[in-house]
Amino acid sequence: MRFDLDGLPVHFPYAAIYPEQHAYMGELKRALDARGHALLEMPTGTGKTAALISLITSYSLANPSRPLRLIYCTRTVHEMEKTLAELRLLFAHLPPAASRSLLALGLSSRKNLCVHPQASAAAARDSVDTACRRLTASWVREKAASDPESTPLCEFYETFDRAAAAGDLASLMPPGVYTLADLRALGRQRRVCPYFLARQMVKYANVVVYSYQYLLDPKVASIVSREMQKECVVVFDEAHNIDNVCIEALSVSIRKQTLEGAERNLRRISHEIDRFKATDANRLRAEYNRLVDGLAQRGNLPISDAWLANPALPDDILREAVPGNIRRAEHFLAVLRRLVRFLDGRLDTETVENEMPVAFVASIHSQAGIDQKMLRFCYDRLHSLMMTLEITDTDEFMHIQTICDFATLIGTYTRGFSIIIEPYDDRMPDIRDPVIQLSCHDASLAIRPVFDRFETVVITSGTLSPIDLYPRLLNFNPVISRSFTMSLTRDCICPMVLTRGSDQLPVSTKFDMRSDPGVVRNYGRLLLEMASAVPDGIVGFFVSYSYMDGIVNSWHEMGILQDIMQHKLVFIETPDVVETTLALDNYRKACDCGRGAVFFSVARGKVAEGIDFDRHYGRLVIMFGVPFQYTLSRILLARLEYLRETFQIKEGDFLTFDALRQAAQCVGRVIRSKADYGMMIFADKRYSRHDKRSKLPGWILSHLHDAHLNLSTDMALHIAREFLRRMAQPYDKTGSGGKKTLLTEEDLQAMAQDAMEM
Amino acid sequence: MGSMTIGAKYKTTLKDPGTPGILRMNDDKFTFTPNDPRSAMKLNVDFRSIKGHKFNKVDGNKPALLNLSKDSDKGGGYMFEFDNVGNRDLSRDFVAKVLGKHQGIPPRPTMPPEISGSSTGLEQLSAAEVERRVKLLREDSELQKLHKKFVLGNILQESEFWATRKNLLDDEANKASKQRPGFKTAMSDVRPSADGRTNKVTFNLTSEMIHQIFAEKPAVRRAFLDFVPKKMTDIEFWRKYCRAEYLLRTKNTVAATAEAAEDEELAVFLKNDDILAKEAKLKIKRVDPTLDMAADAGDDYIHLPDHGILRDGSKETVDTDSEWAQRTLSQELNRHAAVVLEGITSDVELTDAKTVAEALTRSKKEPPSTSTVDDDSHERLVKVARMTEIEDLQAPRSVPYAPLSIKDPRQYFDSQQANALRSLGGSNDGRKARNCSLSTEEVFHHIMDQISSFKVNKSNCSVLESDMALKVLNELNEGISRSRRLNLKNPQEGLLGRVPQHTQDELMDHWTAIQELLRHFWSSYPITSAVLYNKVQRVKDAMTQIYQKLQAIKESAQPDVRHEISRLVKPMTQALDAAFSHDLEQQQKSAKAGNKPNGY
Repeated sequence: MRFDLDGLPVHFPYAAIYPEQHAYMGELKRALDARGHALLEMPTGTGKTAALISLITSYSLANPSRPLRLIYCTRTVHEMEKTLAELRLLFAHLPPAASRSLLALGLSSRKNLCVHPQASAAAARDSVDTACRRLTASWVREKAASDPESTPLCEFYETFDRAAAAGDLASLMPPGVYTLADLRALGRQRRVCPYFLARQMVKYANVVVYSYQYLLDPKVASIVSREMQKECVVVFDEAHNIDNVCIEALSVSIRKQTLEGAERNLRRISHEIDRFKATDANRLRAEYNRLVDGLAQRGNLPISDAWLANPALPDDILREAVPGNIRRAEHFLAVLRRLVRFLDGRLDTETVENEMPVAFVASIHSQAGIDQKMLRFCYDRLHSLMMTLEITDTDEFMHIQTICDFATLIGTYTRGFSIIIEPYDDRMPDIRDPVIQLSCHDASLAIRPVFDRFETVVITSGTLSPIDLYPRLLNFNPVISRSFTMSLTRDCICPMVLTRGSDQLPVSTKFDMRSDPGVVRNYGRLLLEMASAVPDGIVGFFVSYSYMDGIVNSWHEMGILQDIMQHKLVFIETPDVVETTLALDNYRKACDCGRGAVFFSVARGKVAEGIDFDRHYGRLVIMFGVPFQYTLSRILLARLEYLRETFQIKEGDFLTFDALRQAAQCVGRVIRSKADYGMMIFADKRYSRHDKRSKLPGWILSHLHDAHLNLSTDMALHIAREFLRRMAQPYDKTGSGGKKTLLTEEDLQAMAQDAMEM
Repeated sequence: MGSMTIGAKYKTTLKDPGTPGILRMNDDKFTFTPNDPRSAMKLNVDFRSIKGHKFNKVDGNKPALLNLSKDSDKGGGYMFEFDNVGNRDLSRDFVAKVLGKHQGIPPRPTMPPEISGSSTGLEQLSAAEVERRVKLLREDSELQKLHKKFVLGNILQESEFWATRKNLLDDEANKASKQRPGFKTAMSDVRPSADGRTNKVTFNLTSEMIHQIFAEKPAVRRAFLDFVPKKMTDIEFWRKYCRAEYLLRTKNTVAATAEAAEDEELAVFLKNDDILAKEAKLKIKRVDPTLDMAADAGDDYIHLPDHGILRDGSKETVDTDSEWAQRTLSQELNRHAAVVLEGITSDVELTDAKTVAEALTRSKKEPPSTSTVDDDSHERLVKVARMTEIEDLQAPRSVPYAPLSIKDPRQYFDSQQANALRSLGGSNDGRKARNCSLSTEEVFHHIMDQISSFKVNKSNCSVLESDMALKVLNELNEGISRSRRLNLKNPQEGLLGRVPQHTQDELMDHWTAIQELLRHFWSSYPITSAVLYNKVQRVKDAMTQIYQKLQAIKESAQPDVRHEISRLVKPMTQALDAAFSHDLEQQQKSAKAGNKPNGY
């Protein structure tokens, strides 16, 4: 359909539109008009993505002065696929002249894009990267030019390189929508490397869909997203966890294995230096001269040589000459050795230590003789050295790179970080596993360059409650900040708070109660009763892996699991992603064929982050417990302290906010559209307390009746049966009574008319 | 260990007063001989079929009971009541000793379905069986009448009545299992059971469990094919398997590693399943991209090793590179559910572990031909598109279909019935053969031609020429309407038609009753046991009664139908006479031989 939104013609790929989508577009348009940032919360299952991309596309079609440049960041690769599918649908509905000129593509790592038969066969991402570099690094190709027999090259890259040199990459990639699979297919068909093609085409594409880190993590962002223009509109979808991504991007930890690996790396580097001294001393001398001239990097690197970039944010990197005492390769090597030895000494601690970067840098200076400036240059100096030594197997050198990342970060930042040294994991005190953790507490650090660089950044998700907290956490000023509610045709979601088991005793995952066999049994009975009453798919979320493992084992011992399996098949998320993916695939098959299944998953886990359990894939979600973070974690305590001091956010408030956004995120996966329906059970007595409950997003709260706040298992079962019976009835999709929940083109015209008359 | 003989009462249920008799037990089996030689409660049971024993606490005047259970899950077993607690305890200790010895024997993998030797007298009916019988009776009023007459009239025993109707029951069973059962949804768990007395741990494997183990653990299957019978017997194999299971279950990793180092066959069970890993690698390429989390991991540069936040309590840091299996319950659950979903592909009888293993390996070997790459596949696009689109904003997806329209369902189904009738009877119903221009031979040739031409160009050309088809269709339609007409007119024109209705019904009843009785009568010969003797006596009495009733009918009949009735009754009386005379002969024979009068 095509309609008019405050004078802007909007192309929308469906025949009808939800009123909240219409309102959402209105807010988005205002943000684009004002060239400012926006923070928008809209419930899941109301078609955020479709609304977003249609509006932004239509906006630039109507304003030729602002061509379509959209960077759409998703949390996961599978969300990327979904977004691209929606784009495909939208492009098919655009006027042909427009859709024929637009290019949209997804970008991912070599692991997901490589089509080289040998290189892509490697199992891990690092190995694929390394295999690729072995075939495409500039010095390898130079060598092949002189000795084509013994040096294998990648034919796909060669095609790409020729096309890039001739400047007709665009002819290799006609306009359209390219998912990762499409890119691979294109690569195979045209015999061209899809990864490098996509990397190059990102500059010209109208829509780029990739993962958060390509914009947030400086290590990746500065090689992939360096050339993105200021006019780009940046969208972070499913952004409720964006602060965690930001702090993770700037955090490094060093374990015993890291140090051992680093020492191995240093031995190898010194070996290589000796070899070069003997054969090609000029190279080392040339590097030294370049460093004297103040060029840390060798100017414009060929695209295939690019390696993970500096971990510090681009604005904070010193544009100075490398200090004299680490210009020579041997000297730099000696510095690194001293640094590794120092860290090794610090790791040998018996007590937990918590230091600020300034103090840590000072102790490095006094004990290892390395000053702050040298530390800051560690990463760039290492990078330069590895280029000079023509090292291709980067995966082998991860360890020394980690050390240099660490050094550069502590040399650069004095605030917002802390260094925590723990001799063992708190939960396993008898296993010695010392670790030095540099953890970032300030989410605004990593995202600030994005806000500064781009005019419009849209942060959106189904759960951004309380919406005023995010601008504080991320330290930015949105011009639009709004939370939408959901207008429902019928009560198609049914949240419930279950506080008691079938024996009327309270259930909770509170630390002192969680291992109580009575609670474990009550949770099991709840699932069993529900499995016998609810059709198709049921999803259970637990507070952590270890808790899930424990409770599932107990259910197995008690025989409850066997009883559940009489009704439905059981699948479980495991730390192994391949296994979890296959389990999910089978879960969907079981739901499709009508057998029904239960999926056990973990809040904060990978499944909770990105997998939808819509329609028959999830008729009921049970959230077992409140997914609080592990509150004894020292990193968390340090972060809480920082938040209190810097942003005046109380510890308790933050913890509850964090737990409830995770819970809401878990249960929110159950709804896809207004035709869909699902139940949500919050199974913990703590949810009945007002301070916890009120942190849930508005669209859940508005359906949480007072009568559903304090249920026992049998009452919940009764409500579930009633609900399912009600949902099975036919209903009027466009909404009955005074309120329309589905707008057609005529409705929108009438609305526009009314507005004109007023 | 010796044997033991003791007086006891055998009880089928707790409420049963019990049959007094002698209980004899030795190392292998126990027998129960009732004091009354004619009682059916004889037992002769192998101890190997006994899984456990229970006894009650005796206080006051409660009887001392000992229960030997056949299957701990399902119940069912043998209950004995003893005169006093002392006797009970003696036998209990004996049983415990014997059971302890038997359960030390390794699990018998190819154990035949348990049939307890000769507990035939008393039927152990499963609930399903009873339900099936009740259903049969409910559906068939004639059968119900017979059942009422004979079983409730104490002429036949319940079991005797059904023994001659095994086929009915079987039919029913067959109908139920037309759909081949897959694996059970519930995970059949190889649980060790300890009896608490000895230090032994017992695993019980059934052939169904073995099938499942083979399906879920291809490495075990391969090992079985490799080792058995070249290296070891299958009992040894399963003992090793159970040993490994036990080690895994107790999470005794140190012991597991140590034992695996010594014993390479055992090591096979403890290692990660490489076949599964290979399969997973193939499958992950074909997985729906909207849930592909493996691709996600391949795109994640934040969680490089040692980057990101390591120890905030949300992640477990476990080194998983070990070659030794860190098999968890969750992995087993996922694997089990996957196998259940796949279903049983091969038609193998669950008899022999070897054939099962081979069949499964064969079915797995069939290469997934299109496993290479399906980046271009259209199906994937459609799937993703369907996952993403918002259904209620769109006009509903219409699937093309042709509605089935039957104008008058009654007429339709009636005609179907008539068709079926005619094909059975084959009578032409006065329908004259249409004068087709084709002789049978010509038709045959024509059909052969058609078939061969169809074979040659398998394409979508019509099998029959259309005018021929039309002719056949017309012919059939006419036949249908004619047969309907005929069926409605003058039903029953035989002998019975002329007899008054109530006599007719009576005769029919008697006829079915006689058939039933005769069947039982003749099947009891030669009489070899007291049971059979009793049965014959009862049947004979019943037959005599019916004989007299038949005579009465014949005599009381109206003169105009007497002839017809006598014609109808004659075959019945003749059949009965034959039976009586046979019985008489037998009795005379046995009397001559000087046997006891109840002679067996």
